[in-house]
Parts: sequence; structure tokens; C-alpha cells
Amino acid sequence: MALVELERISKTYDHKIAVRELSLRIDAGTMFGLLGPNGAGKTSSIRMMIGITLPDSGTVRLFGESFNRKFLRRVGYLPEERGLYGKMKVLEQLTFMGQLHGLDARTAEQRAKRWCEQLDLSESLGSKTEALSKGMQQKVQFIASLLHEPDLIIMDEPFAGLDPVNSRALEETLLALRESGKAILFSTHRMDQVEKLCDFICLVDHGQAVLTGSMREVKSRFPRDRIALEFEGDGLFLKDPMIEESKSYGNHVELRLKRGADPQRLLHLAAESARIFRFELMEPSLEEIFIRTVGGRTDA
Amino acid sequence: MRDAFLIAKREYLERVRSKAFLFTTLLFALLVGMMTGGALLIPRHASGRARNIVLASDNLVLAEGVQQEIASSSSHIAIVLQAPVPAEDRERLTREVDEKGYDGLLWLPTATGTKRPQAIYASRSSADLFTGDILRGAVMRVMMRRQLTEEGLSQEKIHQLLAPVDLKTLQIKNGKATTSNSLANFAGAYIMIFVLYFSVVYYGMNVARSVIQEKTSRVFEVLLAITRPESLMAGKLIGVGAAGLTQMGIWFSLTLLYGLSPIAASIGKNGVGILGITVTQGVFFLLFFLLGFLFYSALSAAFGASVNTEQEIQQFSFIIVIPMAAGLMMMPYILSNPNAPAVVALSLFPPCTPMVMYLRMAAETPPLWQLLLSVALLIAATWGMLWVAARIYRIGILMYGKRPTLPEVLRWLRYT
Repeated sequence: MALVELERISKTYDHKIAVRELSLRIDAGTMFGLLGPNGAGKTSSIRMMIGITLPDSGTVRLFGESFNRKFLRRVGYLPEERGLYGKMKVLEQLTFMGQLHGLDARTAEQRAKRWCEQLDLSESLGSKTEALSKGMQQKVQFIASLLHEPDLIIMDEPFAGLDPVNSRALEETLLALRESGKAILFSTHRMDQVEKLCDFICLVDHGQAVLTGSMREVKSRFPRDRIALEFEGDGLFLKDPMIEESKSYGNHVELRLKRGADPQRLLHLAAESARIFRFELMEPSLEEIFIRTVGGRTDA
Repeated sequence: MRDAFLIAKREYLERVRSKAFLFTTLLFALLVGMMTGGALLIPRHASGRARNIVLASDNLVLAEGVQQEIASSSSHIAIVLQAPVPAEDRERLTREVDEKGYDGLLWLPTATGTKRPQAIYASRSSADLFTGDILRGAVMRVMMRRQLTEEGLSQEKIHQLLAPVDLKTLQIKNGKATTSNSLANFAGAYIMIFVLYFSVVYYGMNVARSVIQEKTSRVFEVLLAITRPESLMAGKLIGVGAAGLTQMGIWFSLTLLYGLSPIAASIGKNGVGILGITVTQGVFFLLFFLLGFLFYSALSAAFGASVNTEQEIQQFSFIIVIPMAAGLMMMPYILSNPNAPAVVALSLFPPCTPMVMYLRMAAETPPLWQLLLSVALLIAATWGMLWVAARIYRIGILMYGKRPTLPEVLRWLRYT
């Protein structure tokens, strides 16, 4: 079942078009990556998804029905800019957030303690939130959005500002949540993470979806024109006009073929003058797809 | 509703547990204690202390007469009689007053014929007007008594003539003269305005501040993803308001406690009694105070939602104070013309209702429909203010850095 369905939603602020006719769908048990440069309309889209703002046109459907605030109890939201009450103790804060999401105080407290144990925060339960490091605060916020066991989890840049250890812990948590059938949407500019975690992606630019679909399908739309090569002997074949560009690291070379060029021909050519240890036809990385699609704007 | 309650509880606890709350509560308690203690001490050492005055005259009969008069009109003045002494001794006596630490010297020369004597009171304190009045009255009465005696009137007749007049003041209320409580009216109205002013400036601003803090800390985006901005605002108002009322409640109880304590009782039976606020007045005082407090807090919330920094709030605070200042300035007019059209209109205008309606009630019971209408309008205005605040708050999520202009704020109100 689609937990989120956006159908041609648009939003204009004063004279700036933030989102233009965006459509997407997120199913249960999947991880969805929302990508795009800064100001592309990711946050605006997310806000419309959960009713913080309403679209000027188009429809938002949650859990198979037209948007209704009652569904928000089943949504966990981690905003891009973290917001916690600095003066509140961690456990109090989490209990409060859990209660706002409809839990009773006891359940909220129990779950908060369990999550904190899992994410290595147990010692900070009694500390004031403002006394924690930024990374720890982020974990608190992460927990706050999950306490009520939402079916739909929406996270705006969840990995920003986290060290590799915590980043890993969060990734594992999200993967476990997906396994248990939750739908997860997150926006990020870390392509390696999207590539590793997401089943579906949507790349937005200037408020429009420029690339949507399953990871596999999106990648298959781009030709396999990258080759990783390890060899010994004469490297003269690297000068062949069918090669668009190449980067050499000694005997290891990464190259890209010109449009329409046949990789098999290059393999023959190479085999004539050198000993081949490895010849791998690689699919484009998401980062390449991203850059190729939105141009040089990599400040996502 | 549950959300509003949760938010109110959070706001309330955060405030009540803060060091600032504890500090201001204790500080005020200490101040009240000091003031009560001070009030206890002041009468003994200032006006309550007996004055030692040297009464000198070249005429013993006159001097004794004045001494008696003074004794009968004030228990605070002790007379050291120096009579008869020749006029030349005045300078010596003046020196003595200073040397021996008396408070003053009253010199009474003998009068000739019907002319009143030129009495002189030389005091060591320049501002001793109260004593001067007593002395003037005493000398006056002695002179009148002597002249009346000379006219041949009997002592009894003279006593009747000089008996003091008792002026009883009444107030015409609903066509009947009743015992006047104009002092209580004034006192009650003043207290209303000052308590409201203080609490609005202090606690109303707290609501604004709390709204701004949530905006700058960006908590509001999380909250808006869970709950309605209306619940948020209502919760804030109730929570911050309840914290304020708790503090005022503590202070009020302390004041009462001091007031009821034996030390306070000894200050003066007529000290607290003059307020003479009736039960009905007390109930309406509470009602209008609470409604006014909520209205102004909601107004502050709207201001808080439309700006980004606490500094900017200061610029708005004067707007909030204007209706209250107007009420204060118009107080004498309202009390003497409680049913003038302008006053009626003002009492139905929500920002002025708490002060003006209370004043009108103190002066004369207004028609019931006006009373009910004013309360209904005030509640509606408070709700409207909250709605506006919630709207601005929600749209404010999209704003950063710059302060919105008025047209922008108005446009926000149309956004959905």
C-alpha cells in the first residue's frame, strides 16, 4: 500500500515557485531517497506531505486517504533544522514528545529508555538537552520522532553533522525499521548513503522531479559506459578515440567511453597489447547521475 | 485539547522550576516582609513619635489654655511649659531647644484687645506641617474661647459653639444615597490597573518570549508536525499564565499572611480596612483580571509570533500599555461619569474593558446587558487574538532573519 502519494503538488511563495507539479509515491517496507540541490524544493515538499503547509494545487494522500491531521499520529518527522527544548532533561523531553504523539506517559518513558540504551544515550537521560553535544542532540531528536512507532518516517537530512560511528548506528536503525515494514523517506546529499540504503529515489531540481523511480530502474536509464581496468604492458590503447576520458592510477585505470562506443572493441584492443587482470563494465554511480542531471550544481 | 494541556503543563513546569522563578518569588517575599516590618517601625520613629515642644509665653493663662487644647487634640505632642517668661528670653530658649534636642519652640506673646497674637513656631524640622496645623488650631480655639468669654457667653454655650463638626460623606447609587466608598473605589481601581499592568508587562511578555524562543530553537517545526498551532498557542497561554498566577498567588498569600499577623495588626486598624472591597467587587476584580490577563497575553503571543528577536518585542510593548494608560488617565472622569456614552463605548472595547468596566462597576452598577456584552466581547477578542497568533506562528516557520512588514503579516493571515 502507498503510505504517501503526492499528485502534482505545487507551492508558490510570493513569486518564487518552490514546488512544481511534483508526484511521488512511497510504499510500506521501502526506503525512499529525496535528492536535490539546495533550494530544490525538498523541504517544501516534505512540509506539504505532513500538513505544515498546504499545497496551492495537487493532492496529498496519506495511508491511502486524503490528507487528514489524524494521520500525523502515524508519522515520525525529523526536521532539517533540529529543535529541542534546551532546558528540558532528555528523558522528560522524549516523554513529552511521545505524549504529544498520543502515547501515555509511562509507555513513552519506557520506550525512551529502551531507545536511549540502543543508541548509547542512557547516561544522558537525566542531563539537560542543551548540555549534550550536537551529535547526541541529534540522536535525541531521532528518537523523539520514532517513539510512537510511526508507520511512516520522514527525515530531512538525518545524517547531517553525525560522525561515522553514529551515522552507521542510524543507518542500521533505519534498515531495521524498513525490515519491519515501515516506509521511510529521507532527504540527503550523501549519495553513497542513498545508493546503499534506498530502494526508490526522486531527484528534484527547481521544484520539479527530474528523475524518479527505483534505484535499479534509474541506474539502468544511464548507459554502462564506465570501465575499470587493471593491466600490465603497453597502455597505448588508452589513446583510442572511443575513450571520452580516463584517469590513470598506475596499472589501474578508470575510463569513460564515448556515446555509442562498444566496450567489447576496447577489450579486444587492450588484449592485443597488454595482459588484462580486470575489465569491469560499471554502472554509473548515483553521484554521476546526479551531477549529469542537475549540471554542475553539487551543493546539495 | 490534550495537546494544549500537555503543552501548558510543559510550559508551566519549565517556568516554575526555573531559578528565575524561585529568585523573584523569594525576592518579592523578602521585600513584602521588609515593607511590613518598615511600616511597623515608621510610626514609632516618625509621625508616631511624640514631639517635645517648648511652649513659652509671657502669659501663663494663655499658655496653659493652649497646653490643654493641644493635649486634648493630639497625644503625640508633649509640651514643656515655660511661662511666664519675658520676651527677651526668646533667643535663649531657641538656643536651648537646639541644645537640649527639643523638636520646636512655640512662642505666644500676649494679645492686645481683639487682635490675635502673633504666635511663632520654630521647628528643628522644616517639613513638620502636621504639628504646625495642630498648634494653629489649638491657639485659634483658645483665642476664640477667650473672646467668647469676654462677650459674656456661658462656658456651656462656648463648648457647644466650638464643638467639632462631623461630615458624613454619602454616595448616590441607583437613586439612593448610600455610604460612600469612593476611597475604596479608587483604591480598588488603582490596584486593578497596577496589578494588570505589572502582570501583563511581566508575564504577557513571557508568552511572547516563549513564542520567540520556540521559533529560534526551531522546536516549532516539530510541534507543528504533530499538533495544531491553535492548540500550541492556547497551551502556551495557559501554561505561562498559570505560572504567572502561581507566583502572584504566592505573593498575595504572603501579603495576606503578613497582613493577618499580629505585627501587621498593630500597624493600624484603618490601614487595610480602607480598601473595603466587597465580595461582589472581589469576584469581578478576579474575573476582569483573568480575562484582561488572557487577552493581553494573547496579544503578546501574536507579537511574539511576528518577530524574530526578543529585542523587537520591546518595541511592541508600548502598544500593549497604551489602553491601560488610557484607563488610568481617564479614571476620575469614568468614576464621576460612569454612564457617559464615551465611557460605555470604552468599556465595551476589549483592550479597555478590564479597567474601564471595573471602574464603572465601582462607581455605579452598569446595566446587566452591558456587563455581559463586555465579557463576551473580551472572550471573543481573546480567542480572535489567539487565532491570529496561531496563523502568524505557522507562517513564521518560513521566515528567517528579517522582520516581516505589516503588509506581509496581513498577507500571512490570508494564507492557508
